[in-house]
Amino acid sequence: MAAVSSHAGMLSGSYRVGMDIKLDGISHHYGHTEVLRNISLDIPAGQIVCLVGPSGCGKSTLLRLIGGLERPGNGRVLQVGAPPADSLNPLTFVFQDFALLPWRSVKGNVSLVLEDHGIRGKRSKAIIDDVLNRTKLADFADALPKQLSGGMKQRVAIARALAVNPAVMLMDEPLSALDAQTRELLMDDLVALWTRQPFTAVYVTHNLAEAVRLGHTIVVLSRRPGRIREIISIDTPISERRAGDPVCQRKHDLLWELMREEARAADEELIDG
Amino acid sequence: MADTGAGKKRDGDGPIEVRFRGGGFAPRSLRWVGVAVFVVLIAMVQWGTESGWISALTLPKPTDVLATFRELWESGLLFKHLQPSLTRLVIGAALGASTGIAIGVLIGLFSYARAGLVPLVAAIFPIPKIALLPLFVIWFGIDEGSKYALIAFGTFTPTVVATYGAVDNVDRSLIRMGQSFGLSWSSIVRKIVLPGAMPGILSGLRISLAIAIILLVAAEMLGAEYGIGAYILEAGSLYDLERLFAGVVILSLLGVLVSALIGFLEKRLLGWRI
Amino acid sequence: MKFNRRQTLGLMGAAAVTSLAAPAIAQNRKIVVGALRFTSHSGSFIALERGYFNDAGLDVELKFFQAAQPMAVAIASGDVDYAVTAVSGGLVSLADKGAIKVIGGALSEEKGIDGQKILASDAAFKSGLTSPSQLGGKTFGMSTAGSSFHYMGSKVAEAEGVEMSFKPLQKVGAIIGALKSGQIDAWSIVPHIAKPLAGSGAVHIIGNISDYLPGYQVTTVFTSAKNAADERDQTKDFLTGFGKGVSDYNSTMIDKAGGDAGVNEMVDLIHKYVYTDRPREKAAPSIINGTMRINEGSKLNIASLRDQLEWFQAEDLVGKDITLDTLVDGSYVETYEG
Repeated sequence: MAAVSSHAGMLSGSYRVGMDIKLDGISHHYGHTEVLRNISLDIPAGQIVCLVGPSGCGKSTLLRLIGGLERPGNGRVLQVGAPPADSLNPLTFVFQDFALLPWRSVKGNVSLVLEDHGIRGKRSKAIIDDVLNRTKLADFADALPKQLSGGMKQRVAIARALAVNPAVMLMDEPLSALDAQTRELLMDDLVALWTRQPFTAVYVTHNLAEAVRLGHTIVVLSRRPGRIREIISIDTPISERRAGDPVCQRKHDLLWELMREEARAADEELIDG
Repeated sequence: MADTGAGKKRDGDGPIEVRFRGGGFAPRSLRWVGVAVFVVLIAMVQWGTESGWISALTLPKPTDVLATFRELWESGLLFKHLQPSLTRLVIGAALGASTGIAIGVLIGLFSYARAGLVPLVAAIFPIPKIALLPLFVIWFGIDEGSKYALIAFGTFTPTVVATYGAVDNVDRSLIRMGQSFGLSWSSIVRKIVLPGAMPGILSGLRISLAIAIILLVAAEMLGAEYGIGAYILEAGSLYDLERLFAGVVILSLLGVLVSALIGFLEKRLLGWRI
Repeated sequence: MKFNRRQTLGLMGAAAVTSLAAPAIAQNRKIVVGALRFTSHSGSFIALERGYFNDAGLDVELKFFQAAQPMAVAIASGDVDYAVTAVSGGLVSLADKGAIKVIGGALSEEKGIDGQKILASDAAFKSGLTSPSQLGGKTFGMSTAGSSFHYMGSKVAEAEGVEMSFKPLQKVGAIIGALKSGQIDAWSIVPHIAKPLAGSGAVHIIGNISDYLPGYQVTTVFTSAKNAADERDQTKDFLTGFGKGVSDYNSTMIDKAGGDAGVNEMVDLIHKYVYTDRPREKAAPSIINGTMRINEGSKLNIASLRDQLEWFQAEDLVGKDITLDTLVDGSYVETYEG
């Protein structure tokens, strides 16, 4: 893992001094239901770490624990190293349902997260222009969310996340609400974004194709209570991965083998109530 | 097949056109129908009162009501009555609605406020505010104070209920988004909770303001020399049906006006809704 | 008469039996008489209790109202046949619509006889409102515009050459509350309400209405225009029965024809209808205090009615084209210009 980390560090150059996230023995309960058990994991700077697992395995919960939206029952989430000095919000979420304010324009939605940091006027405009350009939304700055397609909405959410210059992006099934074609296009966009300027991300998904396409590291969680079953890394640079790529396909099949039983058991568990 | 072909003669084994069954349940905007209903009703009353089929004791002649209205306008009495009423309505409703929104937001945001105030609001909601008028007269004086208080109190409770319901209905994921970006509490309230609750608050206001107009008449029962409500009450006690109807028409118009105003606000403020 | 009354008392409400007790009557017509629970309506109570209505061939049902206004409307709608109430703008308006007619007089002001009082609130009294001449700039309570209170207040102000503002408060109870708490400055009301109020110290009597409106025809007997025109016999019968009740009331309560025993007996009778929520010993002073002479034979002061009508018209409360004949059917009782 250290190798991957340094590799990413080389790619990002001096842009990211690097802030790693370290999970130290995380366990969590909802009432009497144990959702996570003893999770320890390193998330190195400049890498995309995908969390996969059957539904109900606690992967989204884990993401919220990392982002500080929930308090772990046991264990600690640690930031190792300082975030970049210009990072307004080191741990930044991208949500499955986009979470855009419907009463604000594209521009307004990005500006929302800058306003609280006293960034207004020219500085704000410069940042907004930059992130909208990077997400190919420059022409839609004044549009309202209701006028946008699902894919565009998620690009706005990504632009908003980029605006605060995060040390780590916490992406909670960001493509799940989109149709298959849009998903493909957005994956390309994410790859392009990362290639241009590598970022650290924890990417929760139940879609193995996404994990194989975007993840430097893929963490497989077991069914509830979620434990780490396997950590798989893919060395192919993500910009070179293609659909049907044999390496990726092998990893995909491997992941599916790992998950099949868990998924079936989890499914039956739900039926049993 | 039997279902889709129902009501149609089945001749042989020939193809049957599928019966359309998707009609109705989709309101269309047919403004002229409403106007026509009014015109027909008024014309019927006019004909009835002129022919004596409707006695003078039952309904006034619409043309006489119109004449009364014109008299009111020409004598300037209309504005003498409208001005105090509108003042009472605006001040009372503004007081009631703004405190209602404030308390409603508090209830929506704070568990202690909710636990403490929801039962209280539920307890005072069904009180007929008119019954409290004599008490208000003692508390706030027989002049404008008691009238403002009555209208304010009457608009307060429905606004509170509508507002905290609206705050409850604000998409929690948006609030979580705000927190995840490190927005301050006040930013979340101002930029996410309040705009998100606005549709609910405005539709609550539609009801509260109609109640305010209803209460205007009650408020002007005690000690009002001028005002649309006082005018209607006086007409009632004099059994002067023309004036009574002229007054009622003014109240109706006021209601339509308020409704249009809120419609305009909704268009302006809630254009973002799908 | 004694026999008759005892029988009626014994068989109260049993219409069939009472009609047997008065076999001379050819018809026993059912009518509804409206009343307020005031001593000034005693004429109807006595006539019913002592069988005078039965003697006149009428089977009377009393229907009680909270205020004069709905009673007038009930007459107009035909739910009530006869009633006694103050002349008001509403009454004139209903007469103008061909719904009702005044057919006789009941209560009237008379110089020298205890009548309606002018009251001042304690606060106003202390700041110098000690006589009606100081009413300028004060607020005067009334139920509604065009009510008898409005008329009286205006007439007093006119006589004193002052201007007052009138506060409509809808109900007598609300006016009393406003007067006691000093929200309004002055009011005028019948003595049986005025005196206990003044006795409590919360208000002060500062004058008599009879000084300003001598002969004021306060209340009148009225019926629907249809009864007045088409049911002449029934209307006459009603006035006969009612008149006997009024006679009894005046002779017993004012002229003390029966001495204290007579008064006591009459108080018992009236107490069945008025102040029923109080024990007799508490109700009795109020009933006795409230005694006012009711016109014998339902005589009607036509001059007072004319003055009231003209005042309503001058105030633009009723149509200018209404004549006295629209309001009054003077064919039933003796009219006079007082």
